[in-house]
Amino acid sequence: MIRNVHASRLIEMHMSHIYPVNDYGPLMPGLVMAAVAIFHVFLAQFAVGGGFLLCYFQWLSMTGRNQYAKLFVHGYFKVLVMISFVMGALTGVGIWFTSIQISAPTIGEMVFNFHWIWATEWSFFCLEIVAGYCFYRYHDRLTDKAALTLLVLYTFAAWASLFWINGILAWQLTPGSWVESRSIADGFFNPSFWPSLFFRTIVCLTLASLAGCVLVNMIPNLDRPAQQSLVNRAAHLMAPMVAMPILGVWFLMAMPPDSRGWVLGGSPAMMLFFMISVGASVAIGGYAVIGLWMQRLYINGATATLLLLLAFGATAGGEFVREGSRKPYSIRHVVYSSGILPEEVAELRRIGCVSNDPFPLMHEPGLPNETVTLGAKVFRRQCAVCHTMEGSNAVAHLTESWDADQMRMNIAKLQQTKPFMPPFAGTPAELEALVSYILWVQDDRPSEYAVSEDQAVLQQIAKWMDEAGTQAATVTSMEREKR
Amino acid sequence: MNIFPFNLEPSLCFYVVVYVLTLVLHAIFMTYVLAGSIYLAWASMFPGKTAIVRARSPLAEVLRDWMPFALSAAITAGVAPLLFVQIIYRQEFYTSNLLLGWRWMMVVPVLIVGFYLLYVVKSKLISQWSLAARGAVTVGVAGCFLFVAFCWTANHLLGIDAARWPDVYATGAVVSSVVSLASRLMMWVSGAFPVMCMLALWQLVYYRRRATDVASVDRQHSGPQFVSEIRVLARMGLGGLALSLMFATGYAFTLDAQIRGEFISDGIVWAPFLVVGGVFQATGWFRLLKSEGDSFAIRVLISVGCLSMLVAVGFLREMLRISKVDLTVVNASVKAAAGVGGFELFVGFTILNIGLMAYCIRLVNRRTTGE
Ligand code: HEC
Ligand code: HEM
Repeated sequence: MIRNVHASRLIEMHMSHIYPVNDYGPLMPGLVMAAVAIFHVFLAQFAVGGGFLLCYFQWLSMTGRNQYAKLFVHGYFKVLVMISFVMGALTGVGIWFTSIQISAPTIGEMVFNFHWIWATEWSFFCLEIVAGYCFYRYHDRLTDKAALTLLVLYTFAAWASLFWINGILAWQLTPGSWVESRSIADGFFNPSFWPSLFFRTIVCLTLASLAGCVLVNMIPNLDRPAQQSLVNRAAHLMAPMVAMPILGVWFLMAMPPDSRGWVLGGSPAMMLFFMISVGASVAIGGYAVIGLWMQRLYINGATATLLLLLAFGATAGGEFVREGSRKPYSIRHVVYSSGILPEEVAELRRIGCVSNDPFPLMHEPGLPNETVTLGAKVFRRQCAVCHTMEGSNAVAHLTESWDADQMRMNIAKLQQTKPFMPPFAGTPAELEALVSYILWVQDDRPSEYAVSEDQAVLQQIAKWMDEAGTQAATVTSMEREKR
Repeated sequence: MNIFPFNLEPSLCFYVVVYVLTLVLHAIFMTYVLAGSIYLAWASMFPGKTAIVRARSPLAEVLRDWMPFALSAAITAGVAPLLFVQIIYRQEFYTSNLLLGWRWMMVVPVLIVGFYLLYVVKSKLISQWSLAARGAVTVGVAGCFLFVAFCWTANHLLGIDAARWPDVYATGAVVSSVVSLASRLMMWVSGAFPVMCMLALWQLVYYRRRATDVASVDRQHSGPQFVSEIRVLARMGLGGLALSLMFATGYAFTLDAQIRGEFISDGIVWAPFLVVGGVFQATGWFRLLKSEGDSFAIRVLISVGCLSMLVAVGFLREMLRISKVDLTVVNASVKAAAGVGGFELFVGFTILNIGLMAYCIRLVNRRTTGE
């Protein structure tokens, strides 16, 4: 019942509203998004882990366990503020803005469903900057205990912001029972919430530990034994990495089977990124564990920087997998990557997906006639998030070896052609127009272009679309296909 | 009741109130940064003829010292209204973002540049640079924040101009009327000064009292320098107030007559807040111009005036926008949003976090070891 109200509201809103699409050139917006996201995740996790590291070192100094720890605390916090505090916050806003550029319906749904979670996270941001700034500004005047209190509050706030956002991001991939219940608790504590929270927390600690090692090597006038004692302590934060394999498996198990399939070989690109991520983590973990085991780990500046770069690679790989494995959805069962909702597909097949698109085509001059123009609009609405026409993942090239009928059939059955594509969501005439557009581009964009208006062709397309149905491909349908 | 926002559907009214209150919080910090950076640019270009050059005056010192924090606060405080604006004006906000395109995407890099330049401005290094170099950096900082303010204003105006969207997409001409954009933007820029002056007034007085921070500020705080500095604030506060009124009137004339009419009838409840706010501030600043030194009562008067004006402007600004959007869509979507749950969570943790923030501030006031 609630579900129905929700669906009808969405249909009403989206059907009446089409967003303008920007063409950012040959770089697919997805790549831009990934770059900003990776950068942000890296910095933000560093900020969270840095809090833990500082609390630990402050405690070491207060309990007399390490006399140099205090020196480190004051130096490290400056870096934390200058780099991650500021850049973390700003790249966070950056992700938000980029998400809007890529898929306004997606971010819209996320905000719609979880705005109070986000607002709660925001109140922790506020605590984070107040506690952090109090420490930053007054640390050399504070009593030890007051300094520790501020650091603990800072760390608590920073980690809490991870806690909240983690729920929303995990929900995108595994909405779980929320799909039926629409309960915010079900959505937040979704199947991949816990493995992903623990996993991310460990990543935070690892990043901070590595950055700590880089920094220790940069403290002027510190002799080798002093440096060694600090590096050893910083490396303690890498110990939880031993739990990573278990958490990784837990996470994979929580993933929907098809997404897991992409990662474990179904999609070569996805698997590559996954392997990069695993490989880099193993390298870092191996170094740390062996070092800790032997009790005399020393990581010099160059090695630490190298390990930090590896960690960046691991983060990048992980984020790619997280983004990519959701295909064909941007929010599983809620929104397709194209910004079209699963509930809308049937209706769009009836009324057309661009019949109320008011935005002219800007980046395709010389369109010869209305049909081709219509096709270009269909491409912009349904394909452009993942494809370009002639750049990367170019549809004109991917379809080069197909004749017109193959094109019609494969696009009509898009979700079966490649299960990480959504079902086609337009009228048969729009599909035929799309095919004309692709053929026109393949023919080098002649100024005159004849298009057929054969009713039999349209009927055949309609038949293929009906055969494929309006649902996304499921694992079972994929397997049937294989056989 | 035909009083905005209480004449709206309950859910929409609720979100509008939350939105405006969080936007006011953003505005408090944002104006400090905007007006502060403009003042610093001016001070470094025109050092003045007094014993202490403007760029070394207590006001400039305080601004330089607190600007990086104020920017962090402005950014962080901006996140909350950013959230609610997407709930209320989902389509308008996203469409104008998309139409601004790469210009909108420049906001973040420009803020990053501005932020690091603020640290350059704050560092000791810069005082050894030539006048031209110092001028370039401070003007650069102000330019960054002016650009960001321009983007927000342009985004707002584009969002409520749905009829022009296809055209803007085709031509890329994101500004439809230079007059309305300029007057609206200038209203914010000049209106930023009274708020910044109010905050700086509290800071200057605080530093004079407690000889704990920024030694150079304290030294200059005694006697005539302090009094003349307060006068500078008073003059800027008054000037900013007058200019922003002028630009606001100018902006009102760019609206069409029907909307202006509704604006006056439904928005009348906010008029007293505007008038009282303006009168309080003007009275306070005049008193400071005339008398030697300041008093707690005057500071409170100015602050209350400032806040009351900001809140009134916040609501009136929304009233105009709501009159331009499709209320059936907005009501349906906001009503559904009100049903998703989680508000209690927000209230609970916000109370906790406000408490913890107060505790942090108390801690640094009490638990310092002294110098
Ligand atoms: C969710 C993202 C996404 C959307 C939306 C999408 N595609 Fe794809 N598509 C892909 C990916 C990823 C591939 C795989 C590319 C490869 O194998 O190199 C692909 C492959 C293809 C291929 C090649 C298939 C094959 O068997 O070689 C064609 C043709 C194609 N897409 C056309 C389209 C058209 C037409 C649309 C719009 C109606 C569309 N796609 C929408 C992601 C998408
Ligand atoms: C120094 C940097 C900034 C300046 C100078 C600035 C300035 C402004 C101005 C002038 C407005 C009012 C626009 C108008 O009504 O015409 C505004 C609104 C707003 N700002 Fe900021 N801003 C800054 C940074 C930010 C950041 C980083 C965020 C987001 C995190 C943000 C979020 C908002 C929001 C959500 C609004 C309301 C927009 C609307 O209602 O349409 N601001 N800002």
